Amino acid sequence: MVYSRLNDTKGETMHRPSYAGGLVALAILIGSAAAHACDTPRQMDGFKTCADVAKAEEEGAFVLYSTDPEAGSEAELAKFHAMFPKIKTNYVRLQAGALYAKLSAERQAKSYLVDVVQLSDISFARDFEKRGGYMSYVSPEMAAYKPEYKSQPEGSWTWGAISMAGIAYNPNLVSKDEAPKTWKDMLDPKWTDSVTVKTSTSGMQHMTWYQMRLLYGDDYWQKFAALKPKAFDSYVQQFDRTVNGQDKVIDTAQYSGYLQFKAKGAPIEYVYPPDGLVAVPEFWGVVKEAPHQEAAKLFLDWFLGVPGQKGYGEALFYNSIRDDVPPPAGGVKASELKLLFPAAWEAFLKTHTQFVREWDKITGLR
Amino acid sequence: MPLVVLLCGALVLYPIGFLIAESLNTGDPSVFPPEEFGLDNYTNLIDDVHVLANTALVSCIATVLAVLFGFLQAWILTRTNIPGRQRLERLMELPYYMTPLIGALAWGVLLGPKTGLVNQAWRALGSPVDLFNIYSPYGIAWVMALFEGTIAFVMISASMKSMDPSLEESSRVLGAGKLRTALRITLPLVAPGVLSATIFVFAEMLGSFAAAFVLGIPGRFYVVTTAIWQATLSFPPDYGRAAAMGLSLFGVMLITLTLARLVLRHGTYTTITGKGFRPREMDVGRMRWPLLAIAWGYIIVAVVLPLGALMLTSFERFATVILPQMQFTLANYETALQMGSVGPAFVNSLTLGISVATIGVPVIGVLAWIIYRSRMPGRGAAEYVIMFPQAVPRLVFGLGLLWAWINLPIPIYGTLWLLALAYFTVFLPLGLRTIASVVLQVDPSLEECARVCGAPWVYQMRTVTLPLLRPGMVAAWLLIFIASVRELGVSIFLMGPNSKVIAPAIVNSWLSSSSELSAAMALIQTATIFVAVAIMFGVARRVTGVTQ
Repeated sequence: MVYSRLNDTKGETMHRPSYAGGLVALAILIGSAAAHACDTPRQMDGFKTCADVAKAEEEGAFVLYSTDPEAGSEAELAKFHAMFPKIKTNYVRLQAGALYAKLSAERQAKSYLVDVVQLSDISFARDFEKRGGYMSYVSPEMAAYKPEYKSQPEGSWTWGAISMAGIAYNPNLVSKDEAPKTWKDMLDPKWTDSVTVKTSTSGMQHMTWYQMRLLYGDDYWQKFAALKPKAFDSYVQQFDRTVNGQDKVIDTAQYSGYLQFKAKGAPIEYVYPPDGLVAVPEFWGVVKEAPHQEAAKLFLDWFLGVPGQKGYGEALFYNSIRDDVPPPAGGVKASELKLLFPAAWEAFLKTHTQFVREWDKITGLR
Repeated sequence: MPLVVLLCGALVLYPIGFLIAESLNTGDPSVFPPEEFGLDNYTNLIDDVHVLANTALVSCIATVLAVLFGFLQAWILTRTNIPGRQRLERLMELPYYMTPLIGALAWGVLLGPKTGLVNQAWRALGSPVDLFNIYSPYGIAWVMALFEGTIAFVMISASMKSMDPSLEESSRVLGAGKLRTALRITLPLVAPGVLSATIFVFAEMLGSFAAAFVLGIPGRFYVVTTAIWQATLSFPPDYGRAAAMGLSLFGVMLITLTLARLVLRHGTYTTITGKGFRPREMDVGRMRWPLLAIAWGYIIVAVVLPLGALMLTSFERFATVILPQMQFTLANYETALQMGSVGPAFVNSLTLGISVATIGVPVIGVLAWIIYRSRMPGRGAAEYVIMFPQAVPRLVFGLGLLWAWINLPIPIYGTLWLLALAYFTVFLPLGLRTIASVVLQVDPSLEECARVCGAPWVYQMRTVTLPLLRPGMVAAWLLIFIASVRELGVSIFLMGPNSKVIAPAIVNSWLSSSSELSAAMALIQTATIFVAVAIMFGVARRVTGVTQ
């Protein structure tokens, strides 16, 4: 089910700016005085850039640190390389925590290997921002992104994609009538021992935990704990098990994972709860002291532009937050969905320690 | 001589120092060096008592099984005359070629509740319940034992190959049966090999991650390493807790190693003496067929079944064990082979494997001699230090290595040089335990004769000691080579954009892409190692003129 109208739940979860929106607008005014794209961006094939393209080609290399699947990163970088064959691309792929540990240690030791970093958890992205890890670079393509999808002031990070979580189930084991329709239905005891979630290291799981508490109260997860959910590090494990009948339903089911498995013909169906899909952005930005600065800027401009966003959706089934980019194959545009993400990110971030403690208990780690 | 010990000791203690500092860090984990110190990370381990107990349970069961499998197979393949021994020996190594995480995945395919292939077959016979549930502590121990059984086999085989068969023949001549001979003669004489294997395998089990990660979490069963994984990868990262947990395992290993040294001190295990011998197999008569069946049975369970499960998965459009759902494709292999990073990653892994094993084994051989043969002061302490990396889970030690080496003003971070140094450091225990089991079998009088005749130490080592240690050194080379190619925990933190290796790519693929792609990559990795080992042993035989 798809929604075009968006509800504000308890005034804290939002999709359209309200009170917080005013603050954002003010921040934009202040921020815009401090950072802006260059005066005459150069028009390339499908995107604009403020990078010195000749210098970028002279640099001849570009390195990305990412949490994305390797095959997808390779496909995406191959497209960039095809457009700029003089720039050799390379990447390192790790899980978010390992990537951040490596990145932090490198910066602490003043060893600069990476040009652009993608982080899938806002905690890491905000921490990196606080520690001055991002270069301030306002891409001309950032104009296509709403203020709430960018750092304030602009120039540190931007939402390169949005990852959404709903509910998924195996239709061979669960009929359409039996299937959950809402987040509240996930508390039904019939899902005991047959529901999966993600671990406490998952930014998406933190967001789901936070949003459900706002929607349904603090005891939502206490009731959910009685179902003895199994926690996994990755959506691949969740979907593998459900497709194979070892579990029946997935709570915090990643939308891109559903599209990927559906495209392969796996028996899986998706539920878009009326209260909304939990949304988690991916944060992209140029790293300060990047060894190939112009190549980094050029890549970011290309990536945030239509060609890069389109390629990203094709390679990884991710949704772009840009309205002028088609959705991934088999999917729906993000703007047509009701998305749940915090109005006040700081308040959300402050709950992280509590979330980890509670979630580890719910999933049996503590 | 002391230089070798000092160098190896420094390689181990330098990153350990960083880990100790972090384990005492009670302030911001991102700040280096730590600014607030305390024992909270250790006292808080009381909250993780159930995790420590789980770890102990699984490790003990898995160690007993692994050593049992290893001993039995080693005895059958090196001391008896069953046909096809050499082929079976090569097959025994196969489980070790595979990245353990993917091996655990294969067992999930076979013995997963409700839908595992074996359980499906069992239910098709009319049973309402599953035959096995691999997602349990016993399932984890089973899988760990099958993979580490290879190490136990290689270590114990090296000892058995260095045994003078006349000792067993004497027992038989005096009327003892084959079983009594095996238990009363063979087993005591290979005690160093068995003890070395037990210590190493137990330490390996304590720090084992893959099986517990794949098979434990679905059963809500956590061990130290999965708890460490959570601690290091969450935000804010709890490196202090992870370091404290990892270092606390060293206490357990310290006790194990001390007990083993006490046992070995109170016996003589020399089997290689001045009297020449030629290794000969025992004629087991009609028992060769049941023993052959046991040997092949183990191979089928440990090698054929999991490789078969992986092969099935690797050809599927999406990983499933439900027959009507299966759809087959070559796309996973196409993707794996077309990925630009896979080729260089394989080349890097093989290069590292060959270099680390080739340079490391002679160094470790000298180290083993120093610890067990010399009178150098502090050699006992050196053994404990060298074994340290084995006691600490690889993910934690990898963090220590990252912090240690990235802060040195030597530009090796992000290069293969750093990976080589790191691999050498973490595989010191593996090499030492393998070679130590053979060192203890060499009669000291052989070396004494050389010295009495005027041979300098280097000449004695080159012409007497190292040739006698050859079975152990060949075994150590093989194990270190394979371990380097499939190394994961250290590689995650130390590899750079131009120094990628294959194991993280396979695991990343499983975590973020698909099981079927990672199965394809794992099988390519296994085949590559198999071919590489076959080529290298073939070349070694031609060069030395020695048959194995």
